[in-house]
Amino acid sequence: MRHQALNTFGRSGNPVFGQKFDGDAQFADLPASQKMTLEGTINKTGILLLLCFLTAGISWNIPNPALMIGGMVIGLIAAMVTIFKPTMAGSTAPIYALAQGLFLGGITVIFEAQYPGIAVQAIGLTFGTLASLLICYKTGIIKPTENFKLMIVSATAGIGLLYFVNIMMSAFGGGEGIGFIHSNGLMGIGFSLVVVAIAALNLVLDFDFIEQGSEKGLPKHMEWFGAFSLMVTLVWLYLEILRLLSKLRR
Amino acid sequence: MDLNTIFFGGLAVLSLAVFFYFGKFKASKEQTDREDRINWTKGSFNYKSCLTIALGIFLLFFFLSFLGLD
Repeated sequence: MRHQALNTFGRSGNPVFGQKFDGDAQFADLPASQKMTLEGTINKTGILLLLCFLTAGISWNIPNPALMIGGMVIGLIAAMVTIFKPTMAGSTAPIYALAQGLFLGGITVIFEAQYPGIAVQAIGLTFGTLASLLICYKTGIIKPTENFKLMIVSATAGIGLLYFVNIMMSAFGGGEGIGFIHSNGLMGIGFSLVVVAIAALNLVLDFDFIEQGSEKGLPKHMEWFGAFSLMVTLVWLYLEILRLLSKLRR
Repeated sequence: MDLNTIFFGGLAVLSLAVFFYFGKFKASKEQTDREDRINWTKGSFNYKSCLTIALGIFLLFFFLSFLGLD
């Protein structure tokens, strides 16, 4: 049986959200202290970021492929559990953040060794994008609509499919897979720019989901779920910015 | 500390401060009081259109790679 909050709330461009909602009054009888708030979600995002930085620091100082791969696998499992069991988000979202920190710290060391200074550039640009889009959303400069959601979700799915086919082609003898994805030519850089833009616009959908979730007073654990969805998008955005910067410096 | 670290490190810190400060405020009326807001409360998402556009994007990039463009 699907969790009530997921049955209640819909899907964002971020694949962590489910769909269907029966009505706004569904959570009206929850006490105020048990309802999702904007402040709670932002604070929990802060906790997740802190945990991610903590393990990224460990992985940065002790570069070890086992830590990196372990982090990636545990992160994937924690993400799947959070998506299908949002009631557990309070414990699985911190595990996801800790695991992703291990993965990101390791991968950042590899990029940093090749392109000194790239890590701080990628971190600065990721958080810069987050803050800029938050202001654009809060002030109403960017107004997400159903068509906006359709385009972002579709583009995200298209990119996901492209990456999946690329991995399959690489794994089964296709050499580098889909060539231009990794190239530093005009197409390769253009592709990375498009992917960074799509990843960034997913943040707008996350902001809207969190805003409406707090307006409707979803259960408290959805704060962890909202924070987790932001983390998923931020991790993706950071990795894509890292790839884009590496292409520009090759 | 080099200029790169100061600039991008400063950008990261400033951006996080902006996020934690403004994130706690409700969005403006211009954002919340409009008819065409995303309706997260209905299963109104058009999966057919989504799949068509996703496949279109995939095929576009996939065939571009066959043209040898990089």
